[in-house]
Amino acid sequence: MGAIYKKELKSYFTSMIGCVFLAIMLIIISIYFFVVNMLNMYAEMSTTLSAITFVIVLIMPIITMRTLAEENKQKTDQLLFTSPVSVTKIVLGKYLALLTLYAIGMAVICTYPIIMNMYGDAQIAQSYSSILGFFLMGAAYLAIGLFISSLTESQVIAGVISFIVMIFTYLMTNIAGLLPTGHVSQVMCICIIVAIIAFIAYLMMHNLVVSSVIFVIGEAFFIIMYFVRTSFYDGLILNILGWFSVVDRYRTFSLGIMDVSALVYYLSIVFVFIFFTVMRIKKKRWS
Amino acid sequence: MIEVRNLVKDYYGNIAVNDISFTVNAGEIVGFLGPNGAGKSTTMNIITGYISSTSGQAIINGHDIFEEPEKAKQSIGYLPEQPPIYQDMKVREYLMFVAELKKVAKKERTQMIDDIMNLTKINDVSERLIKYLSKGYKQRVGLAAAIVGYPEILILDEPTVGLDPNQIIEIRELIKSLSKKHTILLSSHIMQEVSAVCDKIIIINKGKLIAYDTPSNIARMLEESRELMLTVKGYETTVKYVIDSIEGIREVKYKKSDVADCIDVSIKMEENADIREELFYAMSKANCPIIEMKLHQMTLEEIFLALTHDNVHYDNDTGIVADVLQESEPDYYESKEAEE
Repeated sequence: MGAIYKKELKSYFTSMIGCVFLAIMLIIISIYFFVVNMLNMYAEMSTTLSAITFVIVLIMPIITMRTLAEENKQKTDQLLFTSPVSVTKIVLGKYLALLTLYAIGMAVICTYPIIMNMYGDAQIAQSYSSILGFFLMGAAYLAIGLFISSLTESQVIAGVISFIVMIFTYLMTNIAGLLPTGHVSQVMCICIIVAIIAFIAYLMMHNLVVSSVIFVIGEAFFIIMYFVRTSFYDGLILNILGWFSVVDRYRTFSLGIMDVSALVYYLSIVFVFIFFTVMRIKKKRWS
Repeated sequence: MIEVRNLVKDYYGNIAVNDISFTVNAGEIVGFLGPNGAGKSTTMNIITGYISSTSGQAIINGHDIFEEPEKAKQSIGYLPEQPPIYQDMKVREYLMFVAELKKVAKKERTQMIDDIMNLTKINDVSERLIKYLSKGYKQRVGLAAAIVGYPEILILDEPTVGLDPNQIIEIRELIKSLSKKHTILLSSHIMQEVSAVCDKIIIINKGKLIAYDTPSNIARMLEESRELMLTVKGYETTVKYVIDSIEGIREVKYKKSDVADCIDVSIKMEENADIREELFYAMSKANCPIIEMKLHQMTLEEIFLALTHDNVHYDNDTGIVADVLQESEPDYYESKEAEE
């Protein structure tokens, strides 16, 4: 794990990607810091960081897209996966390297509240709370990007898909607001989603029986639920889509609230997507 | 020691490896021979744990590659078809990374890598970026990476591909010298190369194991394909009569020759028989001058072609290939049984 971690971290700086990533991240955040905190004299970081959550969506694919896609393409994964290191450790090494690069950028941002404090009373606790939230949000996006990178051999495709997925989660709250809230239409939406899940299951397993069982049980469950307990559908889609809204959870941090549920949410995203990545690599070897 | 038992790899109905079993004993150097797409790389990828098999086992030094992957992988050095090198790294840096990945103790690393770079003759490029190296050098860097950690078993997928003739000889010598300490399984589609360095040869085609024996046994296996080709001037009946009178002939074929008034005869002799002299005198007695006489014996190269190109005639006149295939299969089973 150590070997891969060191190699990855070093490669960010020999190939410039790391420098470009840090430069873009710090330039944008610093401009906002300068305008919001310096010129307009807001004494906390949360306004600044809330305004630029989009930066994360823009820059994360830059570093995650190549992580595993490039190994697949150059066939260097043959070296990694035939070496006496488990797949989990390889993926963890890669993830920790990504996280370290991101943490270097965040470490610079951690000095901003101190700079503000030199000119008056800054709201230190609230600022660091939002910096922590910002860091965790980035950590979650890194795990998502890492997973997407393991799906393909092309970094460009990995980058584009990561970007689309991240934009989608970024806009999730807005999208959810546009969807119908009536019970019948929600049942229909859910039924379509179940059909899609069953279809994906079929594509992945090539097993008609399993996917039909998923389809029939899923559809039956949701239709019966409609007749038995209609209240089950109150705001259901809104809630489901809310699970995917990574940016939403950050808001509590920016208010200076140390929200345990948001903390758990981000850590689960990290855990789940690292797990998916490991499973994806193992599955590829079995197919 | 490598034990492969009933290995099958099925890519959704496309069977790449079909029930292959063999054992490579410690200290042996075994060549894995087959045309492109025969399943050599797939088998090697399974043995090294890069991909899984559909069924069957691969056991490395007593550790099953699927059940105890880390222990099994610890004793394998693998050079895949395309060397797994990082283009943006320097040669020494890359080898240091591989050493760390293979859990070589920190204080041994520098010394080990210097030795290996000397061995593979890449010390003069040790500080250059891998992407600027030529194909031959890249191949040698890949080989060096496989040797790092001195694993007991080396699995080399076409180690000499992309090298110039001098380098090929050097690498062959290197592989031979490595075989004193390591068990080696190397693949190639060049017969000559395998017969030059290997103790044993495995021939596979279309995922099936066709032969597994020493190079000389494989050559002997097709000894019977020894064929005497004659062009004789005279009437066919006379020639037939003369040939029938000679002993030690297994099979004869007659054909009208391109040369005027002549007949082409191809004779398969019985084992250890040499009828050439007798034939010469018999023909001259019958006033049938021999225009041409040639003893055709298959080289290992041709055997390989014959074994792997079923139904493809490399010599349209003699039809040797079809015969060879019919004969070689029972032979292979005999030799395999004898071994067991």
